[in-house]
Amino acid sequence: MFLHQLDLTTALRPSLLPEETLLFVQDAVGLYEGKFKIPQYQHGQAYLTSHRTCYVDHNEPRKNSVAIYLKDVEKTEFYAGFLKSSAKITLYPKPLKQLTRGTPLSTTPGSPTTGTPPRHSSPAPAPQQSATWVCPICSFSNPVPSNFDPALASRTPIPPCLACGIKPPTVHVVKAAIAGMSNRPPPGPPPKDTKSGSSVPTPLANGMVSCPRCTLENHPSLSMCEICGAPLATAVDRRLDVARDISRPESPAPSLTPATQSATPECIKISFRQGGEKIFHERLKNALVQRKWLLQSAPPIPKPRPASGTFEDSYSAKFREASVEVERPRVVGIAGLERRGLEQRQNNEAMIGSAFEDLEALMTSAKEIIALAEQFASQANLGTNGNSEASALASQSATALSLVTTKDMLGTGSGSESLYVSELSRNLAEWLTDDTRSVLRKEGGIMTLVDLWAVFNRARGGVELVSPTDFEKAARMWDTLKLPVRLRQFKSGLLVVQGRDRTDEKTIASLLAWLKGLHQELPVTDVTWDWQLYGRGVTAQETAERFGWSVGVATEELEMAEEAGALCREQGLDGIRFWENWLVNTPP
Amino acid sequence: MTTASPLPSNFSATSTLPPGATAPSSLPFIPQYSFPPFFTLQPVASTRSSQLSSWSTHIQSYCQHNRIFSLTLVDALNTPLFHNAQIHRRLNLRDAKVILAWMASAEGGNRAEFISTSTTKSKKAASGEEDGGKCWIYWRRPEEWAAALEEWVDRTGQKGTVLTLYEIVEGDASLKEEFWNMDEDLLRKSLAVCVRRGKAQIFGGEGSEGVKFF
Repeated sequence: MFLHQLDLTTALRPSLLPEETLLFVQDAVGLYEGKFKIPQYQHGQAYLTSHRTCYVDHNEPRKNSVAIYLKDVEKTEFYAGFLKSSAKITLYPKPLKQLTRGTPLSTTPGSPTTGTPPRHSSPAPAPQQSATWVCPICSFSNPVPSNFDPALASRTPIPPCLACGIKPPTVHVVKAAIAGMSNRPPPGPPPKDTKSGSSVPTPLANGMVSCPRCTLENHPSLSMCEICGAPLATAVDRRLDVARDISRPESPAPSLTPATQSATPECIKISFRQGGEKIFHERLKNALVQRKWLLQSAPPIPKPRPASGTFEDSYSAKFREASVEVERPRVVGIAGLERRGLEQRQNNEAMIGSAFEDLEALMTSAKEIIALAEQFASQANLGTNGNSEASALASQSATALSLVTTKDMLGTGSGSESLYVSELSRNLAEWLTDDTRSVLRKEGGIMTLVDLWAVFNRARGGVELVSPTDFEKAARMWDTLKLPVRLRQFKSGLLVVQGRDRTDEKTIASLLAWLKGLHQELPVTDVTWDWQLYGRGVTAQETAERFGWSVGVATEELEMAEEAGALCREQGLDGIRFWENWLVNTPP
Repeated sequence: MTTASPLPSNFSATSTLPPGATAPSSLPFIPQYSFPPFFTLQPVASTRSSQLSSWSTHIQSYCQHNRIFSLTLVDALNTPLFHNAQIHRRLNLRDAKVILAWMASAEGGNRAEFISTSTTKSKKAASGEEDGGKCWIYWRRPEEWAAALEEWVDRTGQKGTVLTLYEIVEGDASLKEEFWNMDEDLLRKSLAVCVRRGKAQIFGGEGSEGVKFF
C-alpha cells in the first residue's frame, strides 16, 4: 500500500502527525500512476512534510486526498518538463515486503507502545550497540551510548573519544545515532552515511559469525566482536525478532488489507502545472535524507527523574547495563522531595547550558527547551498567582512552532501570492478552531480582526510575521474556502472573526436570555422603575464582561440586536443602556 | 385669528376640569410611560415608529384627560406629559419637537399642528422650527369636533337657533360635553368645517360671533 488515506483538518489541510512539520506547499498539481493520469486527482495542492507527501484535491478534498509516506519511498526522480509536458517528480515505492513491514509503525504514531521498539521492553543484558561515531580527530569508532537519544542530545552528556579523549561535536554524534537507529529494522538497506555497524553479521557455514566491521570470525554465542567490539547482534536479534512478532499483531493497521496490497503502483508522479517543482524536489530530497520519521519511533523521552539519576553513570558507557533501571536510593519524605527538586534543577541547568552552547545544539534540542520554557511559565504563574494571560501567551508562543505557512514554503509560480494567502487563511482557521488553544472561546467566541492579528503574530514568536494586508486578505478568503470561521463586518466597519455556527440569531437569543434573567435579579442600585416588569438596561461594558467580549465587539453586537428590533436604547447621562424592546412588544 | 387665547392653556388640570369629568386621580398613562428607554428617541426605524405612535397615543390621552387643546413645548417639558418624575426620565426639547412634528405629519395621522406665531396664515409652521413651539394637539381633529358639535346641536334640538361661541364652550348646556371649555380658536376652526359642509352659518363680527346650525 503506497497511497494512504489522508486525514484533513477542519481547514482542509493535511492533519500533521506529531513531530511532523510542513516543508512546502504547491498548488496546481496532478498525480500520475506510472504513465497515466489518475482521474479526479488532477487539480490539487501538494504538501510536502517531513514525513509525507500529500495530495489534497481542490474540488473533493475529503474524498480525493492521498498521502505517501516518505519512508515508503525508495527513490525519487526529477523530470524538468518539455514543451507542453509539465515538470514531474516521480516517487518509486520500496519493494512490497518492506512497505508492509514499515506500515504498522507509521500508521500508529501516537501510541507509545507500538512506537517504542521492543528492545526496551525486553531487558537485554548486553544491549545491542548498533551505532558508532567516528572520532573526527583520531578516526577511532566509538560506540554511541545506549541511553543516547538524538532528541535529547543536549541533555545527555557525550563521553569523549575512547582513544584520544577529545569530546566530539554534538551534531556528529546525533547524526551517527540517527543513522544507527535507522538500521534497527534489519532488512532495511544500509544507509550510505554510516561507517560501520550497519550490516547484519553473517553466519558462516562453520557456525562462526563474521564481524561486520573487521571480518573476524567470532564464536556465534558472542555478542560483541572479540577484536573491535562491534556488536554481533545475531543472538540478540533472534530474540528481538520473536518479540517483534508478538508485538506486531497488537498494532492496528486497518488500512493494510491483502486485497489492496497488490495495488501498489509501480511509481507515482506528481505533475507540477504551475512550477514549484525544483524547490519541491530539493526539499523532498532533504526530507528523505533527514528521515525525521525515525525520530518518531525513537524511544520516548525519558522522564527527568530517572534521567537525572543516571546523570553520573552515563559518562562511562561500560556501565550501560545499569543505566536503564538505575537503583536510585529511595529517599522519602521531605528529604526526598527536596532531593527531587534539586535534581530537577540540576537537570534543567545542564540542559539549558548545553542547549545554548551553539545554534546547532539549540536546534536539536528545541523541543526540550520549549517544554522547559512552558514549565517555567506555569511555575512562575503558580508563584505570582495570577497573570495568567502572560503565561498563556508564553505557552502559545511555545506551541507556535507548528504555525508554519511561510512565504519560503511556497512555490514561485504565478499564483504563489494567492496560494500564500489561501494557505495562511487555512492556517488561521485551523489555529482558531484548534481546541487546545481555543483562541476564540477565550474571547467569547468573537474577536476583532485587529486583536486576532496581534495575537497571531505574537504567537508566531516574533518571526515570520504576517502583514496586515495579507492577514486581511486571508481572513476574507474564509468564505470562499468554506472554512469554519467567518469574517463579519459590523455597521461601523469593524471587522470581527467568529465561528461560522455563531449567527446573529444566536447572539440575540443569548442577549435576550440574559436580559430576561435580570427581571428576577434585584438591581444593585435603587431603581425607580418596575424592574420586575422591565428588567434593567445594560451597558456595553457590562455586556462585554458578561460574555467575555471586548467592549467594541459588545457595542457592535448590542447595536446589531437593536437593529434587529430585539433591543432598544436609553441615552442617559452615563452613556447608552440597552433594554429589551418593550416599545414594540408589550410588557409581559 | 388671535394668537393669545383668553382661555387658559396651561395644565393645571384640576382648575379647568369640568365638574362632571372623570376623576383626575387615575391618569391614563400608557405602560411605556414608565419604561425608561421611552424617553430616548430610538434610532432604529421600526422601533422608532412604534415609539412615536406610543408617544402620540400618550400625548393625546394625556391632553384629552386634562382637556388640553394646545401645547407650548417649552412649558410642557416640565409637566408630567414629558417628565416622568417617578423614574427620573424626561424628554428633551429636540426629541419632543420631533415627536410633535411626526404627529403633525400625515404618517402620524395629523394629530398635531404647529401654530405659527409670526406669519399667522402660512402653514410652514409644521416644520416645528419656530422658537415657541406652540401647537395644537388634536385628540379630536377639527372635523371630529365639527361632527361632535353637530351631533350635540341635533341631540339638544337647537337646530336653527343662533348660538354664541361663548354659549357653546362655556354654557351650562354643554357642561357635560367634551368641547366644554374648548379653545376658542379651535372652536372657530371646527365651526369653519361645519360651514364648509353647509351645516352651519356664522354671523357677526370679530369677538361677537353667532353660529346657526341647519
